[in-house]
Amino acid sequence: MEASVLLYGLVNSAVLMLTALGFSLTFGLSGVANFAHGSLYLAAGFIAWMILHYLGLPFMLSVVLTIIIVGILGAAMYRYILMPVRGIALSEVIATFAVGVAILEFFRWAGFVTYDFNLPSFVKGGVEIAGVDVDYQRVIIIGIGAGLAALLWYFSHKTKIGLALRGMAQDEYTALSLGIDSDWAAAISVGLGAALAAVAGLAILPLGLISINIGYDVLLIALAVTVLGGLESTTGLMVGSLILGFASVITANYLGPQWSEVVYLVAIVVVLAIKPSGLFGKFKELEERV
Amino acid sequence: MLEINSVSVFYENALALNDLNIDVQQGEIVGVFGSNSAGKTTLFNTIAGLTLHLKRREQRKGGERITITGSIRFQGEEISLSKPSDRVEKGIILCRERHPVFRDNTVEENLRLGGYMRSGSEIKESLQFVYDLFPPLLRLKNKKAGMLSGGEQEMVAVGMALMARPKLLLMDEPLLGLSPLMQKEVVRAVKKIRQQGVTILLSEQYARPVMPIIDRGYVIENGTLVVSGTGQELMDNPEAKAAYFGM
Repeated sequence: MEASVLLYGLVNSAVLMLTALGFSLTFGLSGVANFAHGSLYLAAGFIAWMILHYLGLPFMLSVVLTIIIVGILGAAMYRYILMPVRGIALSEVIATFAVGVAILEFFRWAGFVTYDFNLPSFVKGGVEIAGVDVDYQRVIIIGIGAGLAALLWYFSHKTKIGLALRGMAQDEYTALSLGIDSDWAAAISVGLGAALAAVAGLAILPLGLISINIGYDVLLIALAVTVLGGLESTTGLMVGSLILGFASVITANYLGPQWSEVVYLVAIVVVLAIKPSGLFGKFKELEERV
Repeated sequence: MLEINSVSVFYENALALNDLNIDVQQGEIVGVFGSNSAGKTTLFNTIAGLTLHLKRREQRKGGERITITGSIRFQGEEISLSKPSDRVEKGIILCRERHPVFRDNTVEENLRLGGYMRSGSEIKESLQFVYDLFPPLLRLKNKKAGMLSGGEQEMVAVGMALMARPKLLLMDEPLLGLSPLMQKEVVRAVKKIRQQGVTILLSEQYARPVMPIIDRGYVIENGTLVVSGTGQELMDNPEAKAAYFGM
């Protein structure tokens, strides 16, 4: 019992971190709260399913194609929908949320509502760890989460584009005066966040059936993790995922699975009431805000 | 090299620059002097394209109305409608006032970011030049820029601008808030930068510390040109002398 809570808590934390990663990254780099995050995650699932079933391409190729398509979709969303309202936070939220609902309801309209949609696992089968059965897909999710975290650190600290994006996030006008284009940087960061949503979707959706409502749940999870951990904080993202990951598994285990979703909502409400900047959020210094 | 012809800038109805004419020749160091809110920063931001960027953003979201008129030519080419990044590509680099650096990045990351538009070999070459110009930076290269003193941050800021390999370097109040010792250090650096063939336009409230190195100067007040001339001519002008030379 306890070993299973520990193990599934860990797996669940990795799932949450992966789910929230793209949302957190886009917000940290460009300040855009992408409320279409859940829809992009779900769209990745359906797009991969379509590529597999209608085009019959090999699985790994479909995965790569899907990540690229969703990434481009995110960048295009910035260019054509967000750019005109750039800088008005509320309009950005409304615009991305509208795009998200449009994507989800498009799939509903197109008939993606039956129980026929699922993605294959990367590797079939499972393994027994400390007397608990875990399928390989869940182990892979932990690996992907850790791998992506390392990759993103490298990207943001060592590559030219990564440094430019971080520079733009810190001081737009200085970045501009060195030749970094702010719209280009924002489009890349929204596109990158969308691609990460796709990676999360492709890794996590094989655990069950794909249904439209997952899109809304994913947005809720991404919000809960980033609000709890603190926006713009990588440590916060990890700690937030761990807390919520274990909290929801423990809740499901002892109170019943129907309560686990409530954990996310309660977390959002409690954090906003007590410490709105989140556990690791930084209130910007006064001089940076003016 | 740089010709500014009757440039005016309005923020809503407030006049920030009024029909300014300024020119800078290849290889010169030219000073722009004026008190706070004289329009120095607006002038520099307009040359670098930041004012145009702000204007376009405000226009897009229906915010403040910014009007820019007049012509800015760089090496004979009209640039008044170019994006900031295009101007950097051409070699116009602005080192902003109050020496802003990327605080969460290390010194070396800051410098490398300065060379964002340049190739790997150019970055390597410029990095060597910057470390030679400001030896303390070599020792600090793995420190977070936000942890440095004001003077050290100024070195990083100037270093970043140099990494971008300017043809025309715009320095907005490079001596602001620095100790007299550090001011001397920056003046020395400016001289060395000119020796590399870089043309420099710099602004200051008071002309005296940069007097020995400038070829010519302009004095502006409320966005309007008051006097211009060589250093000696400015010194001989009673109005300019009293206001900007502290004598």
